[in-house]
Amino acid sequence: MRQTNTGRSQSQREVSRNHRRKPTRAPASMPNSGRRPRRDVTAPSSGTGAATTVIPVGKANPFSPRTAMKKVRKKFKIFSVRSGVDRVFLYILLSLLVFGLVMLFSASFASSYFESGDSYHYIVQQSIFAVLGCVLMMVISFFDYHHLHKFAFPILGVTLVMLLMMVVLKGSSLVPNINGTYRWLYIGPINFQPSEIAKFTLVLIFAHLISINYDKMETFRYGVVPYMVLLGLLAGLVMAEKHVSATVILVAIGAVMLFVGGIRLRYFVMAGALIGAAILYLVFFSDKFDYALLRIQGWLDPFNPPEGVDTWQTRQSLMAIGSGRVLGLGLAQSRQKYLYLPEPENDFIFAIVCEELGFVGALAVILLFGLLIWRGIIISLGAKDKFGMLLGIGLTAQVGIQAILNICVVTNTIPNTGISLPFFSYGGTSLVMLLAQMGVVLSISRTSNVDKV
Amino acid sequence: MAKETTIRMWRRALILILMMAAGLCLVVFNLIRLQLVDGEELKKAAIDQSLQPTALTAERGTIYDCSGTKILAQSASVWTVALEPAYIEEEDKKVLARGLAEILDMEEADVLALAQKKTYFTYVKKKVETAVKDEILEFLEENNISRGVQLIEDYKRYYPYGNFMGPVLGFTGADNQGLSGLEYQYDTELSGTAGRLVTAKNAVGTDMPFQYEQRVEAEDGYDLVLTIDEGIQHFLEEALEEGIENFEVANGACAVAMNVKTGAILGLATKGDYDPNDPWTITDADVIKEIEALPEDEQDAATSAALQKQWRNKAVSDTYYPGSVFKMCTGSMAMEEGIVSEETTFTCNHSYVVEGTGGQHINCWAYGHGTETFVEGLCNSCNPFFVHLGESLGPNLFYKYFEAFGFTQKTGIDLPGEANTIYYTADQLNPMELATESFGQNFSITPIHMLAAACSIANGGYLVQPHVVDHMVDEDGNIVMTADTSYKRQVISSDTSERMIKILQTNATIGTAKNGYIAGYRVCGKTGTSQKILEDQLDTSKKHYIASYCGFAPADDPEVALLVYYDEPNPNINYYGSAVAGPTFVKCMEQILPYLGIERKYTEEELEKIDTTAPSVTGEKVEDAKKTVEDAGLTVKVKGDGDTVLEQIPAFGEAVPQEGTIVLYTDEESQKETVTVPDLTGMSLSAANQTAVDSGIQIRVTGAALTSNNPVSQTQDIAEGTEVRPGTVVTVAFIEVDQVA
Repeated sequence: MRQTNTGRSQSQREVSRNHRRKPTRAPASMPNSGRRPRRDVTAPSSGTGAATTVIPVGKANPFSPRTAMKKVRKKFKIFSVRSGVDRVFLYILLSLLVFGLVMLFSASFASSYFESGDSYHYIVQQSIFAVLGCVLMMVISFFDYHHLHKFAFPILGVTLVMLLMMVVLKGSSLVPNINGTYRWLYIGPINFQPSEIAKFTLVLIFAHLISINYDKMETFRYGVVPYMVLLGLLAGLVMAEKHVSATVILVAIGAVMLFVGGIRLRYFVMAGALIGAAILYLVFFSDKFDYALLRIQGWLDPFNPPEGVDTWQTRQSLMAIGSGRVLGLGLAQSRQKYLYLPEPENDFIFAIVCEELGFVGALAVILLFGLLIWRGIIISLGAKDKFGMLLGIGLTAQVGIQAILNICVVTNTIPNTGISLPFFSYGGTSLVMLLAQMGVVLSISRTSNVDKV
Repeated sequence: MAKETTIRMWRRALILILMMAAGLCLVVFNLIRLQLVDGEELKKAAIDQSLQPTALTAERGTIYDCSGTKILAQSASVWTVALEPAYIEEEDKKVLARGLAEILDMEEADVLALAQKKTYFTYVKKKVETAVKDEILEFLEENNISRGVQLIEDYKRYYPYGNFMGPVLGFTGADNQGLSGLEYQYDTELSGTAGRLVTAKNAVGTDMPFQYEQRVEAEDGYDLVLTIDEGIQHFLEEALEEGIENFEVANGACAVAMNVKTGAILGLATKGDYDPNDPWTITDADVIKEIEALPEDEQDAATSAALQKQWRNKAVSDTYYPGSVFKMCTGSMAMEEGIVSEETTFTCNHSYVVEGTGGQHINCWAYGHGTETFVEGLCNSCNPFFVHLGESLGPNLFYKYFEAFGFTQKTGIDLPGEANTIYYTADQLNPMELATESFGQNFSITPIHMLAAACSIANGGYLVQPHVVDHMVDEDGNIVMTADTSYKRQVISSDTSERMIKILQTNATIGTAKNGYIAGYRVCGKTGTSQKILEDQLDTSKKHYIASYCGFAPADDPEVALLVYYDEPNPNINYYGSAVAGPTFVKCMEQILPYLGIERKYTEEELEKIDTTAPSVTGEKVEDAKKTVEDAGLTVKVKGDGDTVLEQIPAFGEAVPQEGTIVLYTDEESQKETVTVPDLTGMSLSAANQTAVDSGIQIRVTGAALTSNNPVSQTQDIAEGTEVRPGTVVTVAFIEVDQVA
């Protein structure tokens, strides 16, 4: 049973017509496996139509890159300019980036002076990386994202090796113990968190697998097991770094991808229940139960924490946010950044935004993030294929999840854990990676069926 | 298989948008709660914390003596050592703990526990000397620890003179707050105002050099310049210590010198005192032994009581019956009211029946003075005479003057802990109360009250305000406060004052107070001996006395008043004011008056008795020398066979008694000769003289010897048994022992 275009998709087609070069074809026919009726229908797209070819599923390993490429079949050009990037997305992104740099400078100059003797240390570093990242982003936006199909497994391999290395080298000079965790990798002058790469890897491999195996998403074997294995592998290795926040984000991104990617909700709910149960088990039946309870107590009442629970950072953050009131103390006028609030340039930069720019400024930041998420998802929805859509959704969701979780931590809505605020928090390599990923979204937008302003 | 997106994906993506939107709404909701609802409270907390740990200590003011240069109390920098455990590298903690423990003399485990605390700031030790701080800095540098240890400047109080003036100066506590004495009285002024640093001082203790920094500088405390003279204070303290030793005084003593015209305290010594550098240590070794002998559970209370006692300023906090010293006030009242004049007579029959008491009577300390004039009555310190004067005045007049002399209120001296006086008001003054008060019994005042009243008699009748601080100076050298030296009221007329001065001078020359006589200095004085009535010592067999002497000089233009007060001298030695306090008074005044540049003026009678100075004859021919010495009215003793004088004793310019001897040494042999100083105490003037002559030395007499009929030598300045050259002058102090009360 197949359903043709709905009224809504009709109107979208009208809109997208302007951007087409080739005549529209009828929605692609799809071989029906016949196991059960599906409500699922191919959405209209601006695709070239080349993908309508039936791909034999056969005995070939569906996860090998070669097979995947065979399925994709079409030879892509290295650079695919087509129509322009989505400027709405680009402008929102650049606004966030500039806003982030300004706030980074304001938030960091005290701690920068304290740590390096130079007030401009952080902002100069970050600006250099921002420029590099923007260049890289624009370059990548010209790059046809379909080539990423080829890279999905190699990148997964590299990521896994890197994460394994983290576990093996734990405590060495390459992977030093920082506040009891092992999340940073130091290679020469460069240092970064492999977990950042893991997030992209996860998005890419999921997008790749879901897009080529979409019709089997409803099966347990192809629709659930591989993803659970991959997610378990990546999240487990990140967890071994004692990087809880990154683990949470990985799981959240994975969940979003699978959800949008069409996993059957019953598996989804079951997996969710399983994870929930695991967490509950860890909390209530491990030896850390008492400590966890104290942490929760400290979280609920940070101004009167129980003995042994340090809520200093949370308290300082709340004081900073509260100090802002409606209009804030004024740019650069934060009191809390003078070493009261630890890492004001990093995870807690949003507290400084609240303090200096008040509720109005904070609302502006949240609005910008909201717009970015909205536009990112719109772009993804207009992507001409599932791979593009899932890639776009995953990358946008990553930014959205991080932003929301970060602000939740800063406002003590959830217990304190290290999550950085995209575009705002200090960190050169992570900013470059973030902008590169945004480049992928821009690349998707070039072929996406969206109304480009 | 199609690559295109599907409707289900669309739908789910839209659900994702909704979920994201919900997430953002949650955050916005929380921001509204934090910023708009709880904002004020959080903002206040933020401001509070940014001000609190960055207070800048103000330096406590210095206390100077009246010269403005001699430092009595001073603050010096010390350091507070604090840790910031959050900033210390984990691997440094052990090294740091070991190093700090060693430098600061603490337990390594304790320091380590502090370093491992999950906090951003914790104190390790306060009041660390600068040398120790430098040691810590060196240690940190050696071990490459750049963060986590804070050294915060603080101040500690030093009292350069040690155990000197303790109860006046007081001392400070751990937070530099004044706890006693002037430190307490002027705490606000000395403390200054602490400053604030609105930006945080960063973790390594340096200020962040940003334009946003708001620094409210600490305002250092004012310096105090006292009216007390360090020199005079020394005279008083030394004399008191000697007196306490001589008379085995059990309960301490005090001596206060005051400028009679301004009320400025020139010296205020209290004994049984302490070293303000170390106020928590009991100074009296006997007291420590007593406390150690007590059962353990009583030791704390006893220690505390002993500390309170040594901190106590007896001059302002102890009350006593002034005794006969007060007769100068009763006399002034009667003279002012015209009830009595110098020649008014009264007959003392030893016992005086007080009117209106149904036959109760008051006895005189002597067995009847017979008929005496007012001058003689005061010189005899005759109780019935003054009871009679009190009766003549009546309760209302008596009380009016009693109040005018300032005995009903605190003097308002700028020292803490001034005691309230205890007295009868006019309507409570029944005949017996009036009678006893007339000669200084039955009401309690402080020594400072008595001294202020004596000053008013000395200065023409004006009651002055006793004060210790002359002026205050701020950190830029501006005078911010000057003591008010205006008088409170005129109590008696200047005429009465003049007449009383004369009578008191007579008293100090030939009367009961003549132990205070100093040749050439026209001393006025009055003695007092009062029996202490202690509530817990009803056993009258053990009597406790207070011996005091209050006087001023010079009579023609009084400058300095001095009150000496001994609490419980050993009655087996002597307990009369004249014998116990008189010599101390002389010893102090003899030094204070020349120190203040007041010249001796001798009467003709005195000129006959005073010492001369030795002429210079060394190097002269023996014959010439003999002549020179004899011309000066002295006798000559020649030792050796030489022709020229190689040496003379006493040397040129040294004091020689009238008709004394100068020994001339003419060869080296004679120069080696020595004699032994004999015991010259407890003798009459002639006996002491004879003993001295027998031993080949000579004596110079001070104290009552010149005016008294029956003086007894009490002290000698060169100890018995000392080997000295023949002819050496030993100064012997005499007191009058017959005359008492």
